[in-house]
Amino acid sequence: MNPTFAYQFNRFLRGSVPFAITVLLALMSVVPIGISGYAIVTPSFAAISVFYWSIHRPYLMAPPLCFVLGLLSDCLTGAPLGLSSFLYLLIHAIAVSQRRIFIGKAFVLTWFGYFLIAFIIAMLSWIIACLYSLAFLPLTPILVQYALSLLVFPLFAWGFGMLQNNLLRLT
Amino acid sequence: MAPRQGKVFKLAWPLKTIIQRSAFLALISLAIALLFLGKANVGVVEKMRTSATDFLAPILATISEPVDAFHKGVARVQKLTSLVEENERLREENARLLKWQAAGRTLEQENENFRQLLNALSDPLVLPITARVVGDSGGPFVRTLLLNAGRRDGVRVGQAVVAPLGLVGRIAEVGERSSRVLLLTDLNSRIPVVMEKSRHKGILIGDNSSLPQLDFLPTNAKVAPGDRVVTSGDGGMLPAGRPIGFISSSSDRGIRVQAYADWTRLEYVSVLRYDLPGMSSPEMNPGDLGESRLDAK
Repeated sequence: MNPTFAYQFNRFLRGSVPFAITVLLALMSVVPIGISGYAIVTPSFAAISVFYWSIHRPYLMAPPLCFVLGLLSDCLTGAPLGLSSFLYLLIHAIAVSQRRIFIGKAFVLTWFGYFLIAFIIAMLSWIIACLYSLAFLPLTPILVQYALSLLVFPLFAWGFGMLQNNLLRLT
Repeated sequence: MAPRQGKVFKLAWPLKTIIQRSAFLALISLAIALLFLGKANVGVVEKMRTSATDFLAPILATISEPVDAFHKGVARVQKLTSLVEENERLREENARLLKWQAAGRTLEQENENFRQLLNALSDPLVLPITARVVGDSGGPFVRTLLLNAGRRDGVRVGQAVVAPLGLVGRIAEVGERSSRVLLLTDLNSRIPVVMEKSRHKGILIGDNSSLPQLDFLPTNAKVAPGDRVVTSGDGGMLPAGRPIGFISSSSDRGIRVQAYADWTRLEYVSVLRYDLPGMSSPEMNPGDLGESRLDAK
């Protein structure tokens, strides 16, 4: 049976939701919202999204998409180009290799997984950024960002879960 | 839940895995290569980045619109509650400022007279370009802002960016219609400054903390917390005498400066177009007004 064009297009649109959502989140993270110091410790929404979709829909968050998302967020934030791409690819790789552990288990386990992976990523990003600028960067903002990301994770996971159940059941 | 798996798919499974693995490795290496290229200041990387921000700036401007509106609304409600007190305070302040204005006018005139007596050269005209802040750094590694004005508006790399209260930073990257400001707190920021009273010159060095460091002062310079720091104009890129901040602490570990700029409420900033005749090239800093879109009006 040959699926109709409309069906395929619908499927494509639904399939692109994780990517589109992540682009939107990357944009949202640089919008100035006027809270003192928030710009520095804005949680990495895009990284949360990459992690979630790499576990639940790895083929909709393929490595090339992670790479493009990383480039986008580097362009937006002004961070060294390639830094986020590298980190998102790592998140994707770790999440995909461990997804059997997370799928179908309690949410707390996913949260704990994010707790570990995000810590590795935060430390790694700090080391890379220090090497890149050949200086000792303050570690506190990175840890605060990590803690905030951890706090908002359940909220995002809940939202993504809703999307997944409503829009992506077929894909 | 899994994608449809046909016969071909099953046969091609190992091949597909190999391709996927190598694609992943290729992308990782590409990301690392980009990091190195960016570090080496290769023009292509910067061009890629500026064209991306050019494309994204209007989108960001649209997204930040409702956020701004919300903030204004909240501020309005807050103001409503203290309208009477505010009015009283402003009345007093106005009376005080009027006195200052009279004093300022006298001093300005006096200054002008002295200048004429000494036949002193006056500073060139400074033209501000007002731009909206459409993005902030959104991460712990850099301290930057994204503006919705670029080359076509007369913005050039190196120009000073000021907020109502003081200097914010300098332009680091320029696209056709967007530009990136390197804040003076950023690791890469170096700004020539002078102590307002003692006239000792130094360099204000950012280090990603909220209080940039004042360095390269003469060894005999005496600094005390509260001393004002202004731009020195050395290098010919920034106008002299713009307020930056005040000394917040001075110890063996260095002198720290608290900027006047209100980092949380940077909605609009001015990019200062400043031209020292014969000293700056028009490519770097256009003094020529005809170039700017702003003057068409």
